[in-house]
Amino acid sequence: MNLTSPFSLALIAIVGLSLLGLPVGHAMIGGSILWLFLAGRDMGTAAEQLLNGMMSSQLLLAIPLFILAAEFMNAGSIMDRLLRFCNAIVGRFRGGLAQVNVVQSIIFASMSGSALADAAGSGKLMQSLMTRDGKYTPAFAAALTCVSSVIGPIVPPSIPLVLYALVSDTSVGYLFLGGIVPGLLLGVVQMALIALAARRRNFPIEEKVALRELPRITWQALPALLMPVILLGCLYSGVTTPTEAAAVAALYALLVSALLYRTVGWKDVYHSLTTSARVTVSLGMLIAGAMVFNFVITSENIPRTLSAMLQAYELSPLTFLLFVNLTLLVLGCFLEGTTIILVILPVMLPTAQALGIDPVHFGVMAVVNIMLGLVTPPYGLLLFMMTKIADVSLRDMVREVMPFLYVMFGALALITLVPDLTLWLPRLLGYKG
Amino acid sequence: MHPFMRGAVDWIRRRAENVVAGLLGLMFVAFIVQIVFRYFFNFPIGWSSELSVVAWLYMVLIGAAFWLREGEEIRFDLVAGSLGPRARRIIGILVAAATVVLFAMSFPAAWSYVTFMKVESTSYLKIRLDVLYSVYLLFAAAVIVRYAWDVWRLLRGAGPEAIDATKTSSGL
Repeated sequence: MNLTSPFSLALIAIVGLSLLGLPVGHAMIGGSILWLFLAGRDMGTAAEQLLNGMMSSQLLLAIPLFILAAEFMNAGSIMDRLLRFCNAIVGRFRGGLAQVNVVQSIIFASMSGSALADAAGSGKLMQSLMTRDGKYTPAFAAALTCVSSVIGPIVPPSIPLVLYALVSDTSVGYLFLGGIVPGLLLGVVQMALIALAARRRNFPIEEKVALRELPRITWQALPALLMPVILLGCLYSGVTTPTEAAAVAALYALLVSALLYRTVGWKDVYHSLTTSARVTVSLGMLIAGAMVFNFVITSENIPRTLSAMLQAYELSPLTFLLFVNLTLLVLGCFLEGTTIILVILPVMLPTAQALGIDPVHFGVMAVVNIMLGLVTPPYGLLLFMMTKIADVSLRDMVREVMPFLYVMFGALALITLVPDLTLWLPRLLGYKG
Repeated sequence: MHPFMRGAVDWIRRRAENVVAGLLGLMFVAFIVQIVFRYFFNFPIGWSSELSVVAWLYMVLIGAAFWLREGEEIRFDLVAGSLGPRARRIIGILVAAATVVLFAMSFPAAWSYVTFMKVESTSYLKIRLDVLYSVYLLFAAAVIVRYAWDVWRLLRGAGPEAIDATKTSSGL
């Protein structure tokens, strides 16, 4: 492949246009049009790929519905109840409120599939709770909200895992199951690090909640706690398709907020719809662009070529996985994660398959890696968002994020080296891989 | 921008928001109806899934064409954001012009693809595909007009849009 081939020029156009600020979806459509033109193909193919691709991806409809479900949950007073519940359980330890932040994120992760939604939903509230009376520094509170939010899309439901299911033809159900243990592992290493730091930095303890209060607090949070049970129940009993399960989750969240907690009116419903639609449209545009560009990639036989090239080096599966992890980490420094899932992972998949790497393990590992990219400087979307929400400087926050990043990279190494960590639960429920 | 034009653009943007939010609501309801019919009446319906897929396609294309601002789309603004205003203006002109050229170049071919699809219809709702797919032409036309407007605006010396990383979307 030389630099003036149609594919190279299209790739340069896409990278160039998007680095210079054009939305990535538009850039991928534009670059693909350039390829069609240079390769002497019918330029109407861009429209054809986009339209047929979007019309044949039932699975993707789960994404707007999951976003909507989390939005309905956010609109109600569920977050307050959830926080009170978490506080009753872990608030009594040193660094209690910091532990609450993590536990809350794990629970919210089982209702929401997006880290940014998680940080936006609880970020402000956690920030004001943690910095009140100077309990924690603003930078530490903001850093913790960032790192705990990355658990969101690893524990099911998960938007990135739905996208991966689409490009890899893997079952969403098994991918979701595969994310549970790695997601919890990330939570555990974060909590361990907080416990260590709590003694050294003398973090405060929250007022103890009497044990006899616990049933009442749990009861109040119960409708929210039931959401993951309903979601996973729908999925694994085979009663609904994954997309329908997302719709059921959204309906449940709406009913709980509107009828049980009586905190949501028509206006809030409309607001939730527009907020979810905004994310859906921008994500949908990226997916549409990736569908057009993936046609180019497939026409040029790139995945096969790469697979043949890598196989010539006789890589062991482990070396390949390390190579993938390093590549994703580097790419994650300047690429947005969904683009990596939709465009880069399909190119790597045939090699992974040829090396006998399990697609569920590969997908979960890649998604964990990409989520860490959200909090890895220099380009970490979550970091940028939190600096605005919490009004702290990026530099101070990054200093507090680093120790968490180290232990989370440790967890990623473990997830990479021990496939059983990911595959144990799916296999338990019938996955043959 | 002329106040009348400004008003018209804002009006279109608000109506597009209504449409997109409505389509998401429609998709949600269609799914619930589908589940209810299958499990409570033991009567699987096909039109609902077709309706929700159509709602998804229209949401994305109409939303991207008429509703979202460029800063709300998924994009990498790290490089562009680190440049000075003058450099950003020049780059803005080049990027917008390239976008106009690429989309305009493929417009006739897209037009003939969409009109050719009149021979087919969807399986349940019997919507003719040329009618259904014409939303792509609307989208492509809007992209051309919006970026052509950007070129014009930047050439006349308007400053580039301020970059706000918190507004950038991501599905993650």
